[in-house]
Amino acid sequence: MKLKKSSKAIIQTFKSNGFVLSEPDVLLDSEYIIERSGEKFRSSMLTFENEDGKTMCLRPDLTVASCIKFLQKKTSSKIYYSGQAYRRSSNKESNFINDQLGIEILGSKNKIQDDFKIISTIISSTKKIKSKKIQIKVGDISLFKSLINALDMPERWKLRLIRHFWRPNYFEELLKRLEKNTDIDSVTFDTDKERFYEMKKMDQDKVVAGRSIAEILRRFDKKIKDPRSFDDGKKIVKIIKSFLKINCKLSQLDEKLLDFAKKNNLKKNIFKDFKSIQNLKKLKQDINFITNFGRDVEYYTGIVFEVFSGKKEIARGGRYDDLLKSLGAKKNIQAVGAAINLQNI
Amino acid sequence: MKDLITIGLPSKGRLKDKAISFFDNNDLKILQSEKERNYFGTIENKPNIKIIFLHAKEIIQRLGDGTLDAGISGLDLLRESEMNLQKKIIINKKLDFGNANLVVAIPDDWIDVQTIADLEEVAFDIRSKRNTRLRVATKYPNLTNNFLISKGVTQYKLISSLGATETYPFIGSSEIITDITSTGKTLEDNNLRILKDGLILKSTACLFVAKKSLSIISRILF
Repeated sequence: MKLKKSSKAIIQTFKSNGFVLSEPDVLLDSEYIIERSGEKFRSSMLTFENEDGKTMCLRPDLTVASCIKFLQKKTSSKIYYSGQAYRRSSNKESNFINDQLGIEILGSKNKIQDDFKIISTIISSTKKIKSKKIQIKVGDISLFKSLINALDMPERWKLRLIRHFWRPNYFEELLKRLEKNTDIDSVTFDTDKERFYEMKKMDQDKVVAGRSIAEILRRFDKKIKDPRSFDDGKKIVKIIKSFLKINCKLSQLDEKLLDFAKKNNLKKNIFKDFKSIQNLKKLKQDINFITNFGRDVEYYTGIVFEVFSGKKEIARGGRYDDLLKSLGAKKNIQAVGAAINLQNI
Repeated sequence: MKDLITIGLPSKGRLKDKAISFFDNNDLKILQSEKERNYFGTIENKPNIKIIFLHAKEIIQRLGDGTLDAGISGLDLLRESEMNLQKKIIINKKLDFGNANLVVAIPDDWIDVQTIADLEEVAFDIRSKRNTRLRVATKYPNLTNNFLISKGVTQYKLISSLGATETYPFIGSSEIITDITSTGKTLEDNNLRILKDGLILKSTACLFVAKKSLSIISRILF
């Protein structure tokens, strides 16, 4: 009962901050979710086959379900949701059913303002129900991207590190490979070059298993031009690792980043775009900035945060500028959102 | 105490012949029915052993549900089967026949793709340019999933195949495949090439025993 009362208080805060109720569908097309989240996600969905032979699933997550609803043009852009999400987990203690309560700004036009709106709304709603001191941890995925792009290494390595930042274990493996530079293979390159010249004479529009000859040759050409071996792997890994150790009070952030750039001979201005984070000083809260943070959700692209009351995480969220496009939106639709962790309230 | 055991053997091809000679070599002579298509057999002088000839996949299933006490089938089929079946089956012995590898194969003309790392890049390319996923046709969805994900390939979709998987990339049903191969000839003849680090599983025929039949098997059979 206490929970119900808390939810009510939270929803009241959402509403007074201008968020409108969205009621996303409970049943979603499985294939659509897999198309976005990948095969790995299949094992966490609760699915069944409907009478048309289509595999349906119970909504695994209310952010994704709300985005789908939004794309069907059925909701406004500033929404809140309150409902259940259904997910299987290999962890035996976790529940199938998760109560989720959260807010989203879909089609966010002003990044700094909207990031602030989401975080401040979450903070004020949690303050109503939690008396313990509130602490915020914040990170920004885009800072990592800026760092990688500023480093001098082959393009394919840059893309690879950025793509896998959100999978910490695999990322570690990549760093090990980068240190030793272990994907060089000069022998095959020589034999393949012969075929390369043969294929150059073929019809370039011809498609082989979904890829045109032109596309294959373009990538082959790029690959041989991209330096295969470079000596700085070790140095670069060291820089990345020291970046991922940054953990400081928000008030010290500028100084820390400048210091980091200086120590590693990087340009002063490589981290120019973190106004959204600096803006959080206005919250007048205890805020920690951590670079090695928010790496468990694939779709985050910018600011990420978690709110703690004592040791318990009571809310989390972040910016996800690519999710709506990957769900089929014709153009990029920027978005930011957060959810309350009801179990810890 | 139960003293009758049932053994499943592959019903077709080389695997069947090799399985029968494996028993022969262990002084267990298998007697088949005179009717050519009968599925049952016995072992000479062992009245309490019953032989059933089944599809190799079926042998794993029946070991798991307890109908069979022992059987010969492929390691690939065991590893692909559901976890709750695998838990009930023990590998008694790896045999020296039925060797085959489960591999990732791509069209030969994808000359820019040599390793899984390349494949991962191409998969992201397809994802970001066309907003679709690289399709991987396979008869082994579980093993394929575990392998690709462990290698950092995430942007793909599985297409389940029942046979002639090698044709899929060329008829627009998938872009690449994973399949079982012993000599690589079928892949090669269909213009496919195995990725350098594309070995998913080294498989071989095995003698499997149902966990619950372990004691009776060791008493009666070997």
